[in-house]
Amino acid sequence: MIQECLEGKKGAWEMLVNSYSKKIFNMAYQFCGSYQGAEDLTQDIFMKLYNSLSKYDFEKNFTAWLLTLAKNHFIDEYRRTKWEKKNRDDFDDVLLTFETSESPETNLLKEENKKIIWESLNHLSSEIRMAVILRDIQGKSYEEIAEIEHLPLGTVKSRVNRGRLQLAKILQEKKGEKK
Amino acid sequence: MNCAQIEEILASYLEDEVSPEAKETIEGHLNSCVSCSSLLSFMKEIRESLADFTEIEPSQNLLAKLYAIPEKKKKFRFNLDFLLKPSLQPVYAAATIFLVVFSFYFFHPDRKYINKYINRQLHQGYSQVEKLYAKAGSFTDNLGKYKDTILTSVKNSKLLNRNED
Repeated sequence: MIQECLEGKKGAWEMLVNSYSKKIFNMAYQFCGSYQGAEDLTQDIFMKLYNSLSKYDFEKNFTAWLLTLAKNHFIDEYRRTKWEKKNRDDFDDVLLTFETSESPETNLLKEENKKIIWESLNHLSSEIRMAVILRDIQGKSYEEIAEIEHLPLGTVKSRVNRGRLQLAKILQEKKGEKK
Repeated sequence: MNCAQIEEILASYLEDEVSPEAKETIEGHLNSCVSCSSLLSFMKEIRESLADFTEIEPSQNLLAKLYAIPEKKKKFRFNLDFLLKPSLQPVYAAATIFLVVFSFYFFHPDRKYINKYINRQLHQGYSQVEKLYAKAGSFTDNLGKYKDTILTSVKNSKLLNRNED
């Protein structure tokens, strides 16, 4: 598919967009918390991808290469625009899911936790947030994250641990306040 | 181990990535520490909640923009090609020379002397033109004086009389 894109074959670029746009868009949305911001970031990433496709080394894993490109852009943009000062979109708007198999009380509690966690993601530093997103939301293995982030395995684990701990403390604090 | 040390390895414990000895120590601590055991339960909730975040579909509008990237780039490239046409090279060269001369004149510290020199040259040129004009005037006057003599000598010349023969 990449080769066909480079050769300019009809439909190859559309196939590439169809395969990766959802992944990139969701990663952007989870990272910045704004729907509009995520759309802009996704466009930037695909622009960059189109420009740097010729530099792709075919021996490397394409998904990891693309996610590295995306991650670097997200963090650069985060540093440039300081998203942490902006609020994240309301959680209910797009991300709320209803667990039909569980009781309404349990669902309500889960929704409440999800809201707090969603809003608390902005309290994490960009590097830690990215590690938590890749591990706990996107479900990547530590090895995959190390490949994407170009970091040693130990650093990745430490970032994920610190992120979870910070989120747990925020959740503990907010729940404690309510009680 | 104190609470701070336990906190550091709690996430690894959650993923069962600690040694059996550490596991035993952590569990011993958790049985007696309400704060750490509460933190652990919150960490479990966080993992579950994060894993449960719904993936959303990108909008059709966004997809249309992504599909259009190659076309957009092609248009941009066309514009660049147009600017890089070899036929425009003399224009760029002339523009460069003009800019160099202009910047030399505009940013020169002794610009007023340059102005004076230019004025002087212009005046000299103007006076030379005036002189030439005056000379040309006297030449036409002289030509008028000798007109009749010239015409007579031309008529009498053999060159014109050949046909009459």
